[in-house]
Amino acid sequence: MAPIAVGDVIPDGTLAYFDTEDQLQSVSIHSLIAGKKAVLFAVPGAFTPTCSLKHVPGFVEKSPELKSKGVQEVICISVNDPFVMKAWAKTFPENEHVKFLADGSGVYTKALGLELDLSEKGLGIRSKRFALLVDDLKVTVANIEAGGEFTVSSAEDILKAL
Amino acid sequence: MAFLLRRTASVRPLFSRFQIPRGYASAAVGLDLIAIAPDVALQKARSWDDGVSSKFATTPIKDIFKDRKVVIFGLPGAYTGVCTAQHVPSYKNIVDKFKAKGIDSVICVAVNDPYVLNGWAEKLKAKDDIEFYSDFNGSFHEKLDLVVDLSAALLGPRSHRWSAYVVDGKIQVLNVEKSPSEFEVSGGDVILGQI
Repeated sequence: MAPIAVGDVIPDGTLAYFDTEDQLQSVSIHSLIAGKKAVLFAVPGAFTPTCSLKHVPGFVEKSPELKSKGVQEVICISVNDPFVMKAWAKTFPENEHVKFLADGSGVYTKALGLELDLSEKGLGIRSKRFALLVDDLKVTVANIEAGGEFTVSSAEDILKAL
Repeated sequence: MAFLLRRTASVRPLFSRFQIPRGYASAAVGLDLIAIAPDVALQKARSWDDGVSSKFATTPIKDIFKDRKVVIFGLPGAYTGVCTAQHVPSYKNIVDKFKAKGIDSVICVAVNDPYVLNGWAEKLKAKDDIEFYSDFNGSFHEKLDLVVDLSAALLGPRSHRWSAYVVDGKIQVLNVEKSPSEFEVSGGDVILGQI
């Protein structure tokens, strides 16, 4: 699949998470963000440093500001299973708004055309690091790193675009 | 619930417990792991930084098992229920008893990446007692025919829940649960009694 780009309609897909009652839920991306302004950002792997120490905290910290600018959903996706995503989300206790969704088999990441082969690092096929601003399912900003670097995909970069 | 199933352990041979209907069973008592999986390697559970500084080095099966007495157990997933609450603790709590029987290493292996496994091992405070290895591409479990498709539970291809006592690479004892959510035969206490 060609990588997602500005102007595209974001594909639909099913992601998973554990709700506040610890029940496994699946959600369709379209049902979650249709008609809304949303930020979707992805990390190559839960429990890896840039993801844990820089990328996610940036969004956790800036999500109130994003909300004040009309963003209704801030979603973090990773090719990890929902158990791992739940445990990883717990390592950010100050988080109020960021939703951690599991793309366990990488199906949605492939639909976005943003897979990254990290097999030699023991990670398998993961997602590139990226941040998208989506307005009623249309991609208005697409900040996609070539791999796992952290140069264009931060919360600040999205804020600048709002 | 499992008590309703055959549990006459005193009468039946130990290894008949793992007769799960499969196409073929590779893993069995007597199997030489080093011989059947010469190219297979695992990755030690470690932080990303350690991964970088070790250049993401892998550990060949031979280095883990050759000339060593190992108790090894495999489980479906880090951070999941039975694995976290029962399986790992059943080994961690009696590690001294294994050492007293001359066991060189107690090893936990799972089809998770090394960083997730490391995070989980640290959370369980188990790294001092158990060596955690990541079967990151599932190749180890594929060779043993111990892969189970847990896509329905959103986990993808994973490992069965199992335990083994391996001496110089040769399986002496093997216990495999009939289903990955069960915890009847693969605990530390069971294999301690089988060594």
